[in-house]
Amino acid sequence: MNQLSRRVPLVDGVAKVTGALRFTADLDVEGLLHGALVLSTHPHARVARVDPAAALAVEGVHEVFWHGNTPAHLYNSSIWFSGQKALADEQMFPQVVRHIGDRVAAVIADTEEIARRAARLIEVDYVDVPTIFDPEVALGHAGLPLRQDDTPTFLSPVAGETFVYGDPEAGFAAADLIVETRVTTPRSHHCAVETHACIARPEPDGRILVLSPCQSVFAVQAVVGQALSLPSEKIRVQKTPIGGSFGGKAEPILDPLCAFFALKLNRPVIIRYDRQETFTATRTRSSVTGRMRIGLKSDGRILARETETLVDIGAYCTGGNYLPSSMLQRLVRLYDVPAERYSGRAVYTNTVPAGAFRGYGSPQIHTIAEISLDIAARRMGMDPVALRQRNLVGPGAIEPWQGLDLGNARGRECLARGAEAFSWVGRRQRGVGRGRWRRGVGVASATHINGCYPGFHEETTASLRLLPDGRAELICALHDLGCGADTTLAQIAAETLGLRACDIVIVPADTDTCPYDLGTRASRMTYICGEAIRRAGVSLARSVRAAAGLELNTPADDLRLEAGTVRRRDDAGIALPDLAARLASRGIELPAATESYRAQANPGSYAAHFAEVEVDRLTGRVMVTDYLAAHDVGRAINPMLVEGQIHGGVQIGIGYALYEDVAIDLATGRMRGDSFSRYTLANAPEMPPLRVLLVEEGEPTGPFGAKAIGEIATIPVAAAVVNAVNDALGTELTELPLSPERVLAAID
Amino acid sequence: MSETSVAAPADLAELRAMLSAVAGPINFIGGGTDMLIAGRPMPAVGLLIDLSRIAGMAFICADDGGIRVGGATTVAAIAAHRGIATRLPALAEAAAQCGSVQIRNRATIGGNIANAAPAADLVPVLVAAKARLGCIGRDGASRELAICDYAPDRGFLIAEVILPRDGLLPRSAFVKLGPRLDLSISRLNIALLAEFQDGRFGDVRIAAGALGPRPLRLRIAEAALAGRKLEHATLRDFLAALAADVDAAIPGRNSQAYKRRAISGLGLDLIAQAVGLSPRDQLFEDVVQ
Repeated sequence: MNQLSRRVPLVDGVAKVTGALRFTADLDVEGLLHGALVLSTHPHARVARVDPAAALAVEGVHEVFWHGNTPAHLYNSSIWFSGQKALADEQMFPQVVRHIGDRVAAVIADTEEIARRAARLIEVDYVDVPTIFDPEVALGHAGLPLRQDDTPTFLSPVAGETFVYGDPEAGFAAADLIVETRVTTPRSHHCAVETHACIARPEPDGRILVLSPCQSVFAVQAVVGQALSLPSEKIRVQKTPIGGSFGGKAEPILDPLCAFFALKLNRPVIIRYDRQETFTATRTRSSVTGRMRIGLKSDGRILARETETLVDIGAYCTGGNYLPSSMLQRLVRLYDVPAERYSGRAVYTNTVPAGAFRGYGSPQIHTIAEISLDIAARRMGMDPVALRQRNLVGPGAIEPWQGLDLGNARGRECLARGAEAFSWVGRRQRGVGRGRWRRGVGVASATHINGCYPGFHEETTASLRLLPDGRAELICALHDLGCGADTTLAQIAAETLGLRACDIVIVPADTDTCPYDLGTRASRMTYICGEAIRRAGVSLARSVRAAAGLELNTPADDLRLEAGTVRRRDDAGIALPDLAARLASRGIELPAATESYRAQANPGSYAAHFAEVEVDRLTGRVMVTDYLAAHDVGRAINPMLVEGQIHGGVQIGIGYALYEDVAIDLATGRMRGDSFSRYTLANAPEMPPLRVLLVEEGEPTGPFGAKAIGEIATIPVAAAVVNAVNDALGTELTELPLSPERVLAAID
Repeated sequence: MSETSVAAPADLAELRAMLSAVAGPINFIGGGTDMLIAGRPMPAVGLLIDLSRIAGMAFICADDGGIRVGGATTVAAIAAHRGIATRLPALAEAAAQCGSVQIRNRATIGGNIANAAPAADLVPVLVAAKARLGCIGRDGASRELAICDYAPDRGFLIAEVILPRDGLLPRSAFVKLGPRLDLSISRLNIALLAEFQDGRFGDVRIAAGALGPRPLRLRIAEAALAGRKLEHATLRDFLAALAADVDAAIPGRNSQAYKRRAISGLGLDLIAQAVGLSPRDQLFEDVVQ
């Protein structure tokens, strides 16, 4: 009963820092062949000819694959179960490439070096077709010839979402102030330490085994099945350790290719991307242009709000069609807005596809909304904290779009306690200064979801089993992306069983041995999987007590599990290994429990972030000089990991505000920021002193009261930083990132 | 097609002999911080000579005369050297701001020059100090040339960097502007060497990087400062001159509009560092009001 609210170290931490943990690219697989891809250098072109002769002549090359000798099945890499309906527009090697970095061919060879060298020898003839790089232009376009027969294959927008609530016209008519803004968010990249990699191995029984650092083994199985037109039972997927993802590995990219090559050559095949390939040929966060109109009463109440979003999803649909609605879902959870109108559209461009990235639309929509609200506050001369406090939802609020109860929503406490701890009022009174360097403070609120309820069959199954050595085995398709989910969930299991987190043996996610789960996404690990595991743990504890009752001559209800022992009230007891041995000696199966949990709610997690910046008016450089993040997490199962999530989230968010942009050239479609020398991340020296304040008021539907932290940690950051810059300079900067050029241009 | 072979000569004599004896292409590797990163193909053929183990190629000599720095001396060693910090603080400062801790520990002064990046941080200091390079040619023979005459494709190995005594001035400073504080490629960097006594500048030499294919002298800015008293009017003229230098260096470039403004911030930082004032001193604040 002592695993909660404890700073338990990562269960796999020692293995990671000692190098004992083997990542996919380190795995020793007998007979492994290596693949290297030829990626398109043209943004939109028909691949007229691929000549593999020179590559095939290289010693050590086994095969060259391109559209001429691979399946042309259309698939969608974002599906998460077999048979899911989704706009399928991807192919292993399309005849018409849609972006620079699209796949043209692959060489399979004895070594990666040979494969890469041979790949450079493949001759490709491209016939260029018209391109669209600008989402605004895409909107006005009715589709492009993409198929071999010149049939247009898509229309922009790919997807849209509209929503009206209340009477926006009446709201605007009654408003004392109407503010209109246009905010653009950049296309940012995940930059996980581990680049993309996958291994596929043909099995003796004719199946294919895919070893993948993924966010859902079942999603990989579904996508590989669709791409290869194979039934699920032919595909086994095992999760390998993940060296960071942030959503970048949510969609299987290399997996269908590896699986096909391995089956075709009857040899295991690995493909691993280098850093530049991971930039240009995987996924990014979508860039969004948001137009917002807010009508306010002079006392700060929001009377009406109108939002238009235009989402650039890049060259393939993947899951981009969900973005307009997911942004709406997150937008309407934060403030009590009596009249709302929303219209969101997603469009194709000839650029690298967008995909999941920590928040799935939330960073974009909250950045847009929170910068806009701050502009309103400044124009009406109202304190931005007070303006937010007047409009934030409270516990038990019902959001207007899906009618969901937002649970124990504590955004107001985050704002109030954060402002107090940050000395918000005092810092604002101090002023911005007069000289070259100006100081400003900014605030932003945010909310995010906890899981996928009410959509997507939001349920999971966890099994816990007592092991002979007294530990417990946990089977649940878990994918810890590196942020400590396994540790947190082991703490939850251990808490119910009187064990320590390190006593929980987590079986790696495997489609053969684990029940279906949606995977690590939508901030659902602690809240959804954690509750299933808690229930399984309670159930196993009951079985263990029942099994120990006879041994201890005590009714099960009078027993408790504590420190690896089943104890009576008089503290006499039996250690779990001893209990297991006695049960085994009598031929009794060791206790086990399986519980399925279907979510009944989707409460909001809430946050308020406070940033102080200093801006050099001569160079345009912004330094974040102080930061405070207040989060409503319900209850922190592991405060250290919660803080770690927040630290990382703030770092990504500072980059999003100030530096990060893959910078697609609007004339050529080339990505300028395709390496770490050209794509600037906020590194450690840029980080300000950072304080975390946790609001732990408990969420009744969460395991031990816990709610999510993973995605929300990064959501308010960019707006808080931008609002601080606008405060320092008296500007209304709305185009991110705030590069020194943009800052200087705004203070002319 | 022959593969690349690698040699690690033990001393300069062995190196010279190797250079004159080998007929095929030769490449040199020092710290490898530019050569070994992914995305840069290694030379496919010829001889790759490892300079990191050559006795006598990594040294710093900063006695009362000039300063001599071995071509294989690491940037970290330069940043930490007391003699350089005293005689040419700009070089120590440039070294300290170059790359990251890990890069500084491997990267060499010879490599910083030979890699010939427009934004190389050490080179503006060397240009302003009128450095000369002690090189070894393909024939194994030594020759000396001015840093401005060095071109990486001529096959010269930089054995040492010579900073003649008469090129050094009592004050010096280096500042850079990059996208972030550390591990940052300069968008602009400036080095200054100057005489400064009783509040007045004497001789002034200024060089800047990332304003063209190679670092260049900012002659207009030098003229605006030389012989002038450190006061508001001088600083205003100096800032205008810096902008004029940028305009002359990169007319019509996309970055011109930004750099001609941003260089004023760097310029004030540069002067502050050279004369030992804080850039937040009222003197500088007054100039930008």
